[in-house]
Amino acid sequence: MHIIHGTWIPQPIEEYLQEGAFYLWVETDKTVGRTKKREHSRSLAKDRLAQFLSDEIGVKQVDSFKKIDAGISAKYFILPSAHNQPLKSYELMQFTGDDPPETFEFKAWEVSCYQVQALAVFNLLKNIYFLFSNSRSNTLLGSDLAFWYHYTQSFKEIILKDRYIPSLRYQKLPCPKDKRRKNYDKFRIHPTWEIISDKYEAKIKAYASWMPQICVSGTQKPMGQNIFFDRSSLLQHFSENMLLAIIQNTQITKKYEKQIEGTFLSDCMPDSISSMQDYSKSAKSNGDSYWKTENALEVYKNWRQWSEKLREHYTSTVFAFCFKLKAAESEKDNWKIYFQLQAKNDPSLKIDLADYWHMDKTAKTRVKKVFGKDLEKKILLHLGQAAKIYPKIWEGLETDKPTGICLNLEEAFDFLKESSWILQESDFKVIVPAWWTPEGRRKAKIRLKTSSENLKKATAAGKNYFGLESILKYSYELSIGGEVVSEKEWNDLVNAKSQLVKFRGQWIELDQKKMNQMLEFWQNNANEKPEINVLELIKLSADEDKFEFDHDDVLKEMMAKLCDKSKFEVIPNPDKLNGKLREYQKKGVSWLSYLESLKLNGCLADDMGLGKTIQVIALLIYEREKKEAVLLPTLIIVPTSVIGNWNREINKFAPHLSRLIHHGSNRCKIVKEFKEKVQKYNTVITSYALARRDAKLFQSCEWERIVLDEAQNIKNPKAAQTKAILKIKSKYRLALTGTPVENRLMDLWSIFNFLNSGYLETQAKFRKAFELPIQKENNAFKTKILKNLVEPFILRRMKTDKNIIKDLPDKVEQKVYCTLSKEQASLYESVVKDILEQIEETDGIQRKGLILSSLTKLKQICNHPSQFLQDNSEFTKQRSHKLSRLTEMIEEAIESGESLLIFTQFKESAIELEQFIKNELNYNTYLIHGSISRKKREQMIQKFQDPETEPSVFILSLKAGGVGITLTKANHVFHFDRWWNPAVEDQATDRAFRIGQKKNVFVHKFVSMGTLEERIDQMIEEKKKISGAIMGSGESWLTELDNESFKELIALNKEAVWE
Amino acid sequence: MAKFSKTWWGEKFINALEQIIDSGRLSRGRTYARTGRILNFHLSEDKITAKVRGKKNPYFGVYKEPKYNTSIKIKPILQKEWKTVIKLIGTKAGFVSKLLINEMPENIENAFSELNLHLLPHSSKDLITKCSCPDYANPCKHIAGVYYLVASELDHDPFLMFKLRGLAKQDLLKELGKTSLGKILLPEFADKKICIENTESYYTKPQTEKVGTVNFKKFWTGSKQLSKQHIKPVSETAINAVLIKKQGDYPLFWDKDSSFIEAMEDFYQRVRDKNRKFL
Repeated sequence: MHIIHGTWIPQPIEEYLQEGAFYLWVETDKTVGRTKKREHSRSLAKDRLAQFLSDEIGVKQVDSFKKIDAGISAKYFILPSAHNQPLKSYELMQFTGDDPPETFEFKAWEVSCYQVQALAVFNLLKNIYFLFSNSRSNTLLGSDLAFWYHYTQSFKEIILKDRYIPSLRYQKLPCPKDKRRKNYDKFRIHPTWEIISDKYEAKIKAYASWMPQICVSGTQKPMGQNIFFDRSSLLQHFSENMLLAIIQNTQITKKYEKQIEGTFLSDCMPDSISSMQDYSKSAKSNGDSYWKTENALEVYKNWRQWSEKLREHYTSTVFAFCFKLKAAESEKDNWKIYFQLQAKNDPSLKIDLADYWHMDKTAKTRVKKVFGKDLEKKILLHLGQAAKIYPKIWEGLETDKPTGICLNLEEAFDFLKESSWILQESDFKVIVPAWWTPEGRRKAKIRLKTSSENLKKATAAGKNYFGLESILKYSYELSIGGEVVSEKEWNDLVNAKSQLVKFRGQWIELDQKKMNQMLEFWQNNANEKPEINVLELIKLSADEDKFEFDHDDVLKEMMAKLCDKSKFEVIPNPDKLNGKLREYQKKGVSWLSYLESLKLNGCLADDMGLGKTIQVIALLIYEREKKEAVLLPTLIIVPTSVIGNWNREINKFAPHLSRLIHHGSNRCKIVKEFKEKVQKYNTVITSYALARRDAKLFQSCEWERIVLDEAQNIKNPKAAQTKAILKIKSKYRLALTGTPVENRLMDLWSIFNFLNSGYLETQAKFRKAFELPIQKENNAFKTKILKNLVEPFILRRMKTDKNIIKDLPDKVEQKVYCTLSKEQASLYESVVKDILEQIEETDGIQRKGLILSSLTKLKQICNHPSQFLQDNSEFTKQRSHKLSRLTEMIEEAIESGESLLIFTQFKESAIELEQFIKNELNYNTYLIHGSISRKKREQMIQKFQDPETEPSVFILSLKAGGVGITLTKANHVFHFDRWWNPAVEDQATDRAFRIGQKKNVFVHKFVSMGTLEERIDQMIEEKKKISGAIMGSGESWLTELDNESFKELIALNKEAVWE
Repeated sequence: MAKFSKTWWGEKFINALEQIIDSGRLSRGRTYARTGRILNFHLSEDKITAKVRGKKNPYFGVYKEPKYNTSIKIKPILQKEWKTVIKLIGTKAGFVSKLLINEMPENIENAFSELNLHLLPHSSKDLITKCSCPDYANPCKHIAGVYYLVASELDHDPFLMFKLRGLAKQDLLKELGKTSLGKILLPEFADKKICIENTESYYTKPQTEKVGTVNFKKFWTGSKQLSKQHIKPVSETAINAVLIKKQGDYPLFWDKDSSFIEAMEDFYQRVRDKNRKFL
């Protein structure tokens, strides 16, 4: 595990020119032996740092140091420490599972740091952020670097918007010691650049308050005492250094040099700045000595007067100056711009200058109270400045009470297209008519008139929607603002001299060039009657700027349904479904079946706990109820850990659906046999691993549908498993996932490649067109288009949706069935055999003891072999399907930002689980069992409950955590193993399901199939029907069972084990 | 050939001279002004005086470099008339705003034309010139030289024109102060006291502070979890050098004939072009 840190460190000098540099360092979880006492024992030293930077980050591509080592040197950080050691960073503690210390001291530590070239800082931070902020790799981004990434991104604005000016700094020189010398230099003026922007000041303020202190704790030399830099001055120091680095990187031409020769600007040019900073060489134009003269002082004063006036614009105005354009109503040239003021702290407070000037004295005084003193002066100054930028305003200043200006059509268009932007860039506010805003603008578009003629024919022929592939006909039309336009009208508009025309009562902007292209396109294509399929149609609709659509009723309804899933009618509860679907589940089934009727494939991405499995089962029943034709079998590919659960759920909800579990060593392996066998079943369930290993079998058959549960398993398109699955032939494909796929774009691509291959283009094209622009540049336009593209195919309901909550009971209980692994099964069998032998020979107390201890042993096996063996063997998920399933479910919950509780009756398994979740899954965990002190418990509970802390896993032993505490941050409760008494389980569940819980609580109870756990579960279910808590809280009553009953209780039902 | 004046009013000022002097004298005058032959340039209340270093000319019996005394006077406007004019100026926000940023309002003559007056010299009758040189022509090249200097002086200080017409800046402001606009804007005209701001460092100095009580988690992670939502994409400016454009061109520190704003536009563009890929 590596955590990349970094910050800006100023030079350790007390001179006028104090620069600084950006340094990177890397923390690791492994302690490294140190030669020096004050060396940081958990930071990468020179060689390993160099290696890491070149291998993991690819520093060379961004930074121009020839050799990375040359950039590495020792720097010093004042860090939280204890026992004469630096403590791990918070981020690292999160990973290793240490608790943040309650007390610590600050000490300085020597850390090997890599100095980033000033100009490379932006790109390097961008790359590191891109590589590691979203990854699950073993390298994380420290919050310090994340902070600097965000700040540099925000700082870009200063450069891109020209918010800096050439500047002069006056430095008083000290009086020389030799007092007889009268003619010493009293001052020196330094040409430089400075940032002027109210936004910059706001940025510094905001970012300084967010900055982690690790960013201010670095120094270049060891300091005698514990001192941090002040955050906002450090940020300013960094920003100013960055600005000058950028200036110095700008080359200018000889011609330009000549153009500005002799002015102070020439001393602000890159070369001069560099040499001035150097102090040794004299500058090119005016020279070092010049800046100590009275003439220079004169220039300084003139500059100051100028810059003070610039600054004034940014300070002390409490209003924004607005220009409001009002369109001509009847005459085309009668446009107006009104001058208005708007209060900054309350934008609803607006006043027209036309009104203001006519107010009486008391009214004016009232206005001044809101808009500040010297109001009239400021109004005039603002207008003067605005007029400098948009000279048309001078015309409005021919009076002493300016109220606005009049524009003709051409000027109005120029204002909308250009001057309004310029004014806005200059911090004036512009209000334009609604039809000019992006939302209100009416655009000229090509309109696709589509018809589902063929579709209707097909339906009439009784073929249902089947075979809709290339059935849509369409033709082109021209349209403006959603209204069809004839060619003549279009031509008239194109030939209109103005780009702003009044069309059917409303002003619109015309881009004649674009319109001509469109016309040409239309003329070439209008008479054809081409056909496209639904998929292509949806793809075209994603780019709203180019095309608009005129669908006939059938298609209109179809597009509306695809785009707004709330429009779906719910299906009736399928007769043969052994259970009741919730409203949203009925909608889900209806959506799935509708998509398939269009020959489209979708992804059901509901949150965990909302019942994706039952929706698929309902679909299988529904299609059989609806259709008479014989359906091919559906292939369900799932992680090994949920094979049992699927089987169980189908059995529970649709026992009439026949299913083949293709799993375990006894499975059919011969193509011919398999093909024959499969025909007899409605469904075939198998695992991802076997989908690859037995690819030939699966590829030899035709399937009705392939269902992928936990579809993120195919996120790697190059994996053999993915390739094998893609080759299986089926009419339909369906992906299920509970992790939010939208956030990992390449996962999204992979799932779509399975669903509707080619729809999102090739991987390389997709990366270029979407992944990079969206994840690296935050491109909003691309994000929108991608959203439009994928949305019709993904149904994701969240637990927090109001519509869902209303359908859900406050507490949703669900069994999670798993099979035993091979190892578990053989252990289980041998223990049972042992017990049954012994039980014949014992009685009395001994017999009781034997029964109780064997129950414990068997339960331990169901949890994990290592827990039973107690041999310190590895606690891996491969050895226990239960653990493997738990892992998947935890990941889903945490990825969706939810917290969860896990109950187990064994202290050992609580400890093992905690270690496992912390170290293998890297999630934040808490643990309570009998030996944890009350004080510690309370602290953990408080931290867990804190809304500011990240989603976490709380593991509790059933006895210690069962009562008295509130853990309402969790909305998932897992019962890893089962207790005989439902009341005890319910009590535990109630930790989350308590007053203060605002979310629905999902309870997941694990049951190992074919084992005593299943028997316990059945008993609980039966007893529950009679009374909530009829049994005692212990297991002692079980000892009263006779041998035969006991045998029945613990025997392994081999049918439930497939491996 | 570089122009002597960079503002429209300076140019117009020169135009008046060009109408009454031949081009040969005019160009020699320019050379005089450019080569520093004009000494003791002085603007008194209503007239400009200067000494001009002439040239030896044996033909005229001048064997030693002569120094000629010249004076230029512009026909003044009467105080009474000024009052009317300024009243008019004071009703137009555009006039006052322009003067505030040291620019001559383009249509300033409108305020004068009602009284049949001109602010800028209009004809030879407006100029009263004298020179001690032996040239028979008046204005001579020495006068022309001085005149050019006045034009460039005018660029920086349009109020000079009022002064030459007999109204000193403080009188102008006093009169303007009586109008409603003048009342509002007068304080802005007053030369601000420029205080010199001493700096201790080239960049803002990173201050230090003693380490106080620190929360362990906040030390490492700060007070706010920053995410993608906090980044707003920044587009490049739609207009070059927008910040400095709010002030007029040719600021006092800019002693050049070419435009300061144009020079800055050029530079800002370069900075963006050269560094885009590094941001």
